[in-house]
Formats: sequence, structure tokens, C-alpha cells
Amino acid sequence: MNPGNHDKTTGQEAHVHIVSYKEHASTFLGLILLTIMTVTVSVFGADLYTLTVLTALAIASAKAVVVAMYFMHLKYDPKIYKAMLGVVLVLFIVFIVLTLIDYLIRN
Amino acid sequence: MDTTFVLPNSGHHRDDMSSKMGMWLFLFTELLLFGGLFLVYMIYRFKYHDAFLHASYDLNVWFGGVNTIVLLASSMSVAMSITAMQKGNIKLSKNLIWLTIIAAGIFLVIKSFEWSAKFEHGLFPGMEHYNSMGNGERLFFFLYFFMTGLHALHVIIGAIFLYFIIRAIQKQKVRQDKYMFLENGGLYWHLVDLIWIYLFPLFYLIH
Repeated sequence: MNPGNHDKTTGQEAHVHIVSYKEHASTFLGLILLTIMTVTVSVFGADLYTLTVLTALAIASAKAVVVAMYFMHLKYDPKIYKAMLGVVLVLFIVFIVLTLIDYLIRN
Repeated sequence: MDTTFVLPNSGHHRDDMSSKMGMWLFLFTELLLFGGLFLVYMIYRFKYHDAFLHASYDLNVWFGGVNTIVLLASSMSVAMSITAMQKGNIKLSKNLIWLTIIAAGIFLVIKSFEWSAKFEHGLFPGMEHYNSMGNGERLFFFLYFFMTGLHALHVIIGAIFLYFIIRAIQKQKVRQDKYMFLENGGLYWHLVDLIWIYLFPLFYLIH
């Protein structure tokens, strides 16, 4: 097998971005901070009532975006993956909205 | 002229981009699987708001919180193992995957402590205490057991997936210039983490 002759020609390797250990570590730290934040808001008071759910979901979504962008490499991968994920998320939001409408207008 | 364009079926045995895209498509089906369950949760939480609030006090925030940190750490280690593989540090890459599998084990041990406490209190669907509760509380615990159970199943599958990746690295089927199997395993593991990110506040942090 000729080691010099593989895959370089496909160009796939050419734009691989290696995420550094440091970047992964700081991503982890950021996620821990967000976790501490969401626990603090919920457990140690902050009487936000209905806002608590929204705050919890907002923080969870922030964490999800960080995981997807950095750990799952979406930030550095070709944009097609982001676009696909976007389509699926829109689909899911449609499901939520339709279910909500169904729930609210039924007796 | 140096052109990087190569036609399909040009003698290359693999297509990394399609491989990853296939994994993402699979992850979307997982997303919709759990998404449907979250929809059920949402409607019943609207309907039985107070009961859900009341029932969630029976869950231990610290079990859930520690498990969140365990999963986040395991996500980091599997992400770093890809970095190590890309840099050619095979041994470190393998060790980081082992670390992820150990974290999966810790997660499951904590989960089993948590579940057995619920069993002792008779909160599993069908048990005496469960049957004596109102509709809302019952739905809460039904969804709790079903969703965390389905998630735990994903943790187990993910750990097995990662073990096969270690085997593939040992057989040099996964190497510095061919690591899509590892990357896809990582994606699966991150999905497990992503689902937990939503399960944790929705079940443990209703206050």
C-alpha cells in the first residue's frame, strides 16, 4: 500500500479542523457553569414562577447549542450539517405548535 | 494543475462526508423519538401542573446534577479522543474512550441507586404507592421511568458502541487518516448527552 497515495486527492482531509484540547476543556467549563446556573435558579429560590420553566429551557438550549457547535464539530464542519439540523428543528417546532393548537382549541 | 475533485467510484473505498451525514440522519430520528416524548410531557405538564410540581420533589436534584456533570465530562473526553486521533496520539485516544466508558458506568451506577430508591418508595408504575396517587403524579412517574429508562438504554448502547471503536483502533481499522467510525461514535455519545441536558431540568428542576 502506498501511504502517500490515499485520500489526499479527495480533498476531504484538506479542510479538517482539529479542535484543540484546550478548546474542549473550556467548552466543558462553560457547560458546567451553565449547569450550576440552572440548578441555582431552580433550587435556591429565584421565584420566577412560570419564568422558571422558560429560564430552564433557555439554559438547556444554550447548553445544547454549545455541545452541538463545539463537541459535535458543527462549527467547523461543512455547512450542510447545520442546514440539515435546522430543517429537522423547524420540523420539530411545527410539531410542537400543531400539538399546542390542537390542545388549546379542543375542549 | 492541482485539482482536488475526484469522481465517485474512483477507486476510493470510502466517503467520509456521506458516512457522517448518515450518522446525522440517524441522530435526527433519535431526536424525533425523544421529541415525541417531550411533547407528551409538555401537554401533561400543562394539564397537571401542580401534580408535576409536587411529584418532582420526590426526585433528588443531586443525583441528577452529579449525573449531568458525569455526562458532560464524558462528552469532553470523547471529543478529546477525536482530537488525539487526529493528532496521531493513538494511545491517548484509546484511553480517553476508556474514560468515557467508565463515565457511562458511573452514570448507570448513580442511576440505579436513584431508581432503587424509587422502587423502595413504590413509585414504579404498577406498585402500590404508585396506584394510590392521582393521575398527574402517576403520569409524571410514568414519563420519568420511561424517558430516563430509554435514555439509560442509549447510554448502554453508546458504551458498547465506544467499546467496538476501541477494538477497531486496536485492529488499526480506525487510524489517524481514517477515523470516521470514532467520529460517529462521538456524535452518538454527544446525542446521549444532549438528551440528558433536557431531561435534567424538566424532571429534576421543577420548583
